[in-house]
Amino acid sequence: MALIQIAEPGESTTAHQHKLAVGIDLGTTNSLVATVRSGDVSTLPDVFGEHLLPSIVHYGKEKLDVGYEAQKNSIGDPLNTIVSVKRLMGRGAKDLSVEDMHYSYEFAESESAVPRIKTRRGNVSAVEVSAEILKTLKRRAIDTLGDDLTGAVITVPAYFDEAQRQATKDAAKLADINVLRLLNEPTAAAVAYGLDTGNEGIIAVYDLGGGTFDISILRLNKGVFEVLATGGDSSLGGDDFDYEITQWLAAQAGLDKVKSPAIKRLLMQHSRSAKEALAHQESIEINLEIDDIKWQGSLDRAQLKELLTPLVKKTLMSCRRALRDADVENENISEVVMVGGSTRTLIVREMVADFFECEPLTSIDPDKVVATGAALQADVLAGNKSDEEMLLLDVIPLSLGIETMGGLVEKIIHRNTAIPVAKAQDFTTYKDGQTAMAVHVLQGERELVTDCRSLARFELRGFPSQVAGAVRIRVTFQVDADGLLIVSAREENSGIEASVDVKPSYGLTDNEIETMLRDSIENAEDDMYSRSLREQQVEADRVIEALDAALAVDARELLSEQEMLTISKARQDLLDVKTSSDIDAIKQKIKHLEAACEDYVARRMNSNIKIAMQGHSIDEYTSDSTSDSEAEEL
Amino acid sequence: MSKDILNSNFFELFDQTVSFDVDLHKVQQSYMELQKQVHPDKFANASDQEKRISMQRTSWLNEALTTLKNPVSRATYLLKLKGLDINLENETTMDAAFLMQQLEIREKLENIKDNADPLAALDVLAGEIKNTSNAMMQGFSQSYENDDLDDAREWIRKLQFLEKAKNEVNALTATLEDELMG
Repeated sequence: MALIQIAEPGESTTAHQHKLAVGIDLGTTNSLVATVRSGDVSTLPDVFGEHLLPSIVHYGKEKLDVGYEAQKNSIGDPLNTIVSVKRLMGRGAKDLSVEDMHYSYEFAESESAVPRIKTRRGNVSAVEVSAEILKTLKRRAIDTLGDDLTGAVITVPAYFDEAQRQATKDAAKLADINVLRLLNEPTAAAVAYGLDTGNEGIIAVYDLGGGTFDISILRLNKGVFEVLATGGDSSLGGDDFDYEITQWLAAQAGLDKVKSPAIKRLLMQHSRSAKEALAHQESIEINLEIDDIKWQGSLDRAQLKELLTPLVKKTLMSCRRALRDADVENENISEVVMVGGSTRTLIVREMVADFFECEPLTSIDPDKVVATGAALQADVLAGNKSDEEMLLLDVIPLSLGIETMGGLVEKIIHRNTAIPVAKAQDFTTYKDGQTAMAVHVLQGERELVTDCRSLARFELRGFPSQVAGAVRIRVTFQVDADGLLIVSAREENSGIEASVDVKPSYGLTDNEIETMLRDSIENAEDDMYSRSLREQQVEADRVIEALDAALAVDARELLSEQEMLTISKARQDLLDVKTSSDIDAIKQKIKHLEAACEDYVARRMNSNIKIAMQGHSIDEYTSDSTSDSEAEEL
Repeated sequence: MSKDILNSNFFELFDQTVSFDVDLHKVQQSYMELQKQVHPDKFANASDQEKRISMQRTSWLNEALTTLKNPVSRATYLLKLKGLDINLENETTMDAAFLMQQLEIREKLENIKDNADPLAALDVLAGEIKNTSNAMMQGFSQSYENDDLDDAREWIRKLQFLEKAKNEVNALTATLEDELMG
């Protein structure tokens, strides 16, 4: 019989095998993979010695390329060359309207809530494109390190919401990578700097990447990295710099009316390289040459400053807010860490230095600093350093709450709360004999449901019929160390429970990912179609139920006969199509009914203000709340 | 585990005597030491059950730290430990001077946009609220130490008003910032 070896507590066994774990920076513009080998951390190059992998995927006729190979097709084959896909992660088709002007590829017409990009190799989602980038990095790591990976720490912008984090995890799953932890990019950067220089104190991490801006305020103390506050803008970055410059350049060259994707890409590439060149020189010559167009001109630092100042100011507003959230003044900040390629732009460095009144740290390559920190964390999580003192304490970037009476959001977990965290809130029923309750989970800072991001809806059904107010429903939000949310609800008297891992309504379920792995894209789309249909049918039920409940209470007082007729007609129309499989028709009839009820709802809200002020509620069900967070709620 | 984390009150958890005047620096240190033992990062390769317990414990630690860090929630928690539930929404009596002060704050908030620099004016208002709060915390602390719990409760009610005013100042600041950001 073999004896089991037991090591002295606190020491690792000599036979302990070093586990291969990597840190991956899945960036908007570039991605990197790094690891710790013999105590040294470094980013891993490809066979040509390149450390950066451009986050570009080309769906070619013969093969699929990622990185520099894909980039070569950016101008020649723009529609099949996907860039900056990170900006689409976790985004629903509805979120695209403003942003998609930055892109010059086409989105597929689809019933699906997830936007899909048309390529010659089929329609692809952002998750699938990201998975291709991750697969490439994984292959690079395995080739370099000579063995399979235990797992990876993948970084995300601190400001990423639930949907975007989930999409990142989904991409890793598709790429068959075991995610040890999703780590916020600024925290990763602080890890890289903190361990190098042994800093203690309060630091700010200013991270301006290609498509996202993050500001984080952290306290460093004896190896513990504590995030005090984080803020930013998940759709502001170097791409917007390039866009501003491109607009200027197009106007200068008289090309601002041109629609050709190839010319747009050319302008963008020139804009980007001009911006990069101005980090080292005062002025840059620009020569445009494509087809029969020829233009020559120059861009200098003063002009660049004028173009970019409004954007940089936006980032400083976020800094101001993060400082206030952290309850810290400018002068308490001992260091400012610069992360992201866009912080190479001089105007950014100058304005940040002015704002924080200190010279920012730039000694680690801003492109590599995040991957470096992620690799250090991966090494710890894989268990290669058993007595490691380092610990990262993170916060949730956006508040989480549920819908209450009148379309308002009741926050249950406030932004910048340390995670993991669990919070419970009690609710009760509104009507006698009510046996079900709908829970609508939202994320965001605004008051109105319509201004927040809808994460999930679920229902708690089948609790015993009692008089209004007797039922006790406890809704618990649990956020794990990755910042992902599980909501559960329990009726305390009967013990009936419901629980959901929050999958945003436009996200992918585990099953869908399986399907995508196995089947063709068409099949996956069918799945999505039937899910959307179910969602619309549930929505229709919800709308009708809510309306009926409201009408029963105060239709007579608040509606004229004519108004009542209009509403009844719209209600009947919705009932007629509800069980059909025509998603559009159901959607449309829901809209009609909602429009018909608009004045009525407004009147109800006015007359209900009194009720709303006395207690909290979900949908039409009021509640008396005995919150676990009294001080915050009041 | 030397300490039964889930069954300790927030003060015991961080080796503090049960009192309004806590050494936040020591609380912070103790919090970090405990986190080093229980945080999910220490259980990345452990069983699901261990992960779950780790998550529960860390959540509890975070709740404890949040409660003690904020003076109003700390005060409320102290009374809760004494068996007093603070649910004061329906109680409306308040001394007149305090109500006047509240009205003044509301007026200033409503008229904030008339200032040349509304953000700076909000900063000033936030400072005033903070000073008043600090004075009231002194009041709470004394009442609590003298075991005059009705009085202590009264202070918390006032502090909650001020906390609400502070939140409104912050919300308005955020709105103005949003407008400035475009």
